[in-house]
Amino acid sequence: MKTDNITNGEVLIKTIGLHKSFGSNHVLKGIDEEILKGEKVVIIGPSGSGKSTFLRSLNLLEEPSAGEIWFDGECITDRKCNVDRVRTKMGMVFQHFNLFPHLTIRRNITLAPVKLGLMDEEAANANADRLLIRVGLLEKAESYPGQLSGGQKQRIAIVRSLAMNPKVMLFDEPTSALDPEMVGEVLDVMKELANEGMTMVVVTHEMGFAREVGTRILFMDEGIILEQNTPKEFFANPRQKRTIEFLSKVL
Amino acid sequence: MDFLKDIFKDIIDKLNTALIVEGRWKMLLGGLGNTLVIAFFALIIGVILGIIVAVIKVAASMNKKSKILAVLDFLSNIYINLIRGTPVVVQLMIMYYVILVSTTNSVLVAIISFGLNSGAYVAEIMRAGIQAVDKGQTEAGRSLGLSSLVTMKEIVLPQAIKNILPALANEFITLLKETSIAGYVAISDLTKAGDRIRYSTYDPFTALLIVAGIYLVLVLGLARLFSMLERRLRRSENR
Repeated sequence: MKTDNITNGEVLIKTIGLHKSFGSNHVLKGIDEEILKGEKVVIIGPSGSGKSTFLRSLNLLEEPSAGEIWFDGECITDRKCNVDRVRTKMGMVFQHFNLFPHLTIRRNITLAPVKLGLMDEEAANANADRLLIRVGLLEKAESYPGQLSGGQKQRIAIVRSLAMNPKVMLFDEPTSALDPEMVGEVLDVMKELANEGMTMVVVTHEMGFAREVGTRILFMDEGIILEQNTPKEFFANPRQKRTIEFLSKVL
Repeated sequence: MDFLKDIFKDIIDKLNTALIVEGRWKMLLGGLGNTLVIAFFALIIGVILGIIVAVIKVAASMNKKSKILAVLDFLSNIYINLIRGTPVVVQLMIMYYVILVSTTNSVLVAIISFGLNSGAYVAEIMRAGIQAVDKGQTEAGRSLGLSSLVTMKEIVLPQAIKNILPALANEFITLLKETSIAGYVAISDLTKAGDRIRYSTYDPFTALLIVAGIYLVLVLGLARLFSMLERRLRRSENR
């Protein structure tokens, strides 16, 4: 096992021969990939290509059928690894926000830090306020998710993950369920996050965002990473036939 | 007018005989007390048992590899099938005459019987409620690093219970009325107390009407309590 380049502080996530099957449906067919600290990796590809499954494997929401995943120098697919502890360091933002509808916005943000004993109630509340100010939603602190617009919900979902001080943020099509006029406000928060140096892995159909914010584009097709490059090169000179086909449809 | 007066006097007379003479109201009050005690504690047992069994069944269906969960799931199924497959009055008598025959406290026997009975029904209601909560809720909880148990307790169950409140109200109302068979094991509950008044007054109509009236008031009160609870829990949905 080559672990030397995992522990030298550069590589944050590494997958080795990652496979995932749902029954007879072979979704991920061997993915070897490294994500460095501070990178903004954008994963694109046609639907059914396995990009969401790959992202969800990274924090083990999908349990890989085979292969290894290393995070911050630790093999998290190891049986002995405490998955809950690892997940506190990996924020995840979902397509459908998944805010907790029975809790206030403030409670949505403070629930995990308090329940996990990372902060006391007071510190968690102060932290929530700070984060809410940052996304301009402090006045919604005592509202319930049902009273917010889609864009507001997604900004809260991002804040909820940030409250855990994660080392990486995983975004699973964060703007796909939004009305078009709300996409911008969510992307703005993500851009700000990127500028602050957060390591990000983003599955998205927003090519503008990929081009502008991404440091690397992964193009997935049929369970493998078919092609990858810097955004500039990727969009200017796609090499694979499938990539060219895909880009001609979405651009 | 005299005709109405006679009817009125007749009613007063009958009520007097059924309730006041020989302090019969005390019998009724004692019976009501027993009914309430049995229903209340059985309800608590039923809810706790129901939640545990439902969580086991849901956990087992999500985590097919765990052997412990598979065994617990198997036991849960036996429990639910045995309870649902036999009449509650038979369960009560089996408990009284066979399993807990050494106990002299028949109210306790009734509480345990009705609690076990209710638990099976609550479990299935609860399971439906848990499964109706969006999977994304569990995923969001787990992705924040919460354990599956904490996610269940803090995120899934509160939403599930809110959704199944009407069904739970039904179950509790049924439970309250089902306790009327407690007389089978020599408990002086509300129904039994009515029976005894009926025997001693030779006036079945008044005694039964009073008993029915009290049950009705209890059920209406319970229903009212539930609709208040429902309204409170729905506050978060105000838009």
